[in-house]
Amino acid sequence: MESLDPRVNRLDLKGFQGNLTRKAPLDQFGTFEVFIQMKEGKPYQHEGIVHAPNEEMAFIFAKEQFSRRSTCSGLFVVETRNVFVTDFTEGEDTIYNYISDEFPKEGDKEEYEFFHLMKRGKQHQHVGSVEARTPQEALALAKPAFINEKPVFNAWVVKTSDILFTSEEDKHIWDTLPEKKFRDASDYKASDKIKAFKERNAG
Amino acid sequence: MNETALKELLYKMADDQLIIGHRNSEWTGMGPLLEEDIAFSSMAQDKVGQSHALYQMLHSLGESEPDTVAFTRNAEQFHNCTLTELPNGEYDFSLIRHFLFDTAEAIRFELLTESSYAPLAQLAKKIQGEIRYHTMHANAWIKQLGSATEESVNRLQTSLEKALPYALGIFEPSPYEQELIAEGIFAGEEVLKEKWISRITEILSQTSLQLPDLSTLKPEFGGRTGQHTEHLQPLVEEMSEVFRIDPGAEW
Repeated sequence: MESLDPRVNRLDLKGFQGNLTRKAPLDQFGTFEVFIQMKEGKPYQHEGIVHAPNEEMAFIFAKEQFSRRSTCSGLFVVETRNVFVTDFTEGEDTIYNYISDEFPKEGDKEEYEFFHLMKRGKQHQHVGSVEARTPQEALALAKPAFINEKPVFNAWVVKTSDILFTSEEDKHIWDTLPEKKFRDASDYKASDKIKAFKERNAG
Repeated sequence: MNETALKELLYKMADDQLIIGHRNSEWTGMGPLLEEDIAFSSMAQDKVGQSHALYQMLHSLGESEPDTVAFTRNAEQFHNCTLTELPNGEYDFSLIRHFLFDTAEAIRFELLTESSYAPLAQLAKKIQGEIRYHTMHANAWIKQLGSATEESVNRLQTSLEKALPYALGIFEPSPYEQELIAEGIFAGEEVLKEKWISRITEILSQTSLQLPDLSTLKPEFGGRTGQHTEHLQPLVEEMSEVFRIDPGAEW
């Protein structure tokens, strides 16, 4: 096998060339946003991102990436570029102060899901869905319900049909063996054991 | 209940889960991409957990502690099918093995949800969720790569042909087939094999991969009676290395 270590690979460099070539794209997949529902009835919240070639594989990866330890009752993924995001506000300033009531009125109505960030540094949570022609309109329609409520620092809008949801029958993948403490580092009480070992050796 | 027959079944299942779990865990840190590395490692850990549950069941039937059983036997005392012990090779082989083995594993546990041995039926029900994800993962990969590029199709096809005789070894009949069936403990390897063939055929038919005529292949038997390839003993030694340094250590 050829070495993957650039320090080794560079040993083979032979001279230099002055002509230009195209910058090579990164050899990696696009990204998908992952949303998790910890328990039936709780809102879905954004957990993170996976790289994947398509949404089916994104779902497969997301399941182990973000729900292998905690409880989970549902998961959905959406390609990053299909998530429409606002700017961030701070303090008592809600992003809805900046959402225009004017929006283009062309096209057909479709369902959009919207998500709020209520605390900087926390995750976006699913709030609801609304029928609209554009993501902009979706937020404008949500505005009256939220403008006088607790400040929303950032909002996301996603067309419902762009989301890959968990099918009812696939929800069984989270029915797992409960006796899984061996998955948690804390169960091995490593620091206690190291401490006891040191004390034994000191004495 | 015929305890000898039951134990033979439990041992081969437990050993399958332990050895495939250990083999798959060898990809940890080396997977083709981070997300897959984590997913494959996590499933490997599931399988070791399932083996633990089965060894625990054997322990309740009078066999030694799970750790003793897992870490103090030599290769010829293991009853896993030889498919599980083959070296990982490249990722195409590991994926094909994952697909072939996990499909059989999933059906075996489905059949066992009806077992007359209640603790086994209960365990089979409990782990169906985990296994559902494992086969979902395997099927997604096989469907993707099985119809992607010439290279991916060729690689999977080669690995499929290499793995199939060993995969047929999963269904090596037990000396107690009749007893297991008669007592309703397990529907038997032949039933399992027929269901397995139809399920892998269904997935493979959605790809560019060709399933060879299975009746022309000679199954690699022997694993169930302790006759293994040269690859198992080194695996067992590595797996039990730490345990053997201090068998009494508390973890």
